[in-house]
Amino acid sequence: MQPSDEELYRLMRKGNQDAFAQLYERREPALYRFALHMSGSPAVAEEVSQEVFVQLMGPSTRFDETRGSLESFLYGIARNLIRVVRRLGPVAEPVDRPFHHDILGELIADETTAALHRTLRELPERYRDVIFLCDLEERSYEDVARLIGRPVGTVRSRLHRARALLSAKLKRLNATPEVVTR
Amino acid sequence: MTCSQWIVELVECARRQGEPDRALRAHLSLCANCSERWDREQQLTAQFRAIRMQAAALRSPDSFARAKSRESLMRDFARIHRRPLVASWVWALGAAAALLFAVFLGHEAGKRTRKAVSPAFRIHDESVLYEASLDASALSNDDFIAVPYTPPLAPGEMVRVVHADLYPEALASMGVEVDPSFAGDLAADVVVGEDGLPRAVRISENGQF
Repeated sequence: MQPSDEELYRLMRKGNQDAFAQLYERREPALYRFALHMSGSPAVAEEVSQEVFVQLMGPSTRFDETRGSLESFLYGIARNLIRVVRRLGPVAEPVDRPFHHDILGELIADETTAALHRTLRELPERYRDVIFLCDLEERSYEDVARLIGRPVGTVRSRLHRARALLSAKLKRLNATPEVVTR
Repeated sequence: MTCSQWIVELVECARRQGEPDRALRAHLSLCANCSERWDREQQLTAQFRAIRMQAAALRSPDSFARAKSRESLMRDFARIHRRPLVASWVWALGAAAALLFAVFLGHEAGKRTRKAVSPAFRIHDESVLYEASLDASALSNDDFIAVPYTPPLAPGEMVRVVHADLYPEALASMGVEVDPSFAGDLAADVVVGEDGLPRAVRISENGQF
């Protein structure tokens, strides 16, 4: 049986590097995608997903498992880091990584989809989070409810509201295709 | 059912990329708004799928950037958790040094205590050596006064009886009444153990107490 995140965290705090590596392998890819979708920048996503683990192992970070799961704690750190990055303004992508030069939206061939991706980042945070977790990460309502610390009904209603907003946006985009030109 | 209720149904159906059931299909065929929403919800689901795939293609789990990031994190982790190990050595060394210092202080204090006893009298004439086991009875008779709070003599321990000048304070500490006006020294025989501590005193000069 796989140890839980919380068990791995306790081991990690005692200096067990294997536990830390397991946590990294288990949680880093989704955190990277989360940061990528929220920022649209692979460089930011790379930075954020690494910084989350730097903070996790740092002496000032104290995770309290009575207040929620470690996974939601990690998403919390990532969210805060992205907020900081947003406040600081656009991030320069490294020029020595040509593949990563373009942001995710630019890699999406379909313009409407790329526009949708940008619109997604403009949604209020509470809607963006549920879209990311439910529709992009394909997590169940129950999982997402646990992660964001809200009832399942709230998750469902937020998701429906978020989709309605995106749907309305799509409708406008479909009606006025010039809006999507960059 | 109202349109709002149908929309909840169709959103869930679009999310799981399923086919609408007969009832929903019937409503969609009658309601232009819901039908349009159904199309957009299907489009949204397809677009989310495209975004998901693009994001996955952007960075594989064994990408160079990730490997570099992982390596750097593991190095940092090892460095952070090495520090307490060094600190424990420092603590251990510190504790050992403190212990040694305490032992040294204790030793010095002991020496000072022993020295503090001897100024109570000034030896001016060393004399006879006795073996305590043989002469203990001889020493406990007559005019000898046992010095309080001193360890008893061990059997076989060699004692010396020395002639000394006793200060009045030393006599007072032995429980002997001394005339407060008396300021001089008293000639006495002092029984001294092998450790240098006085065990008994006999006043050889008379008259002041």
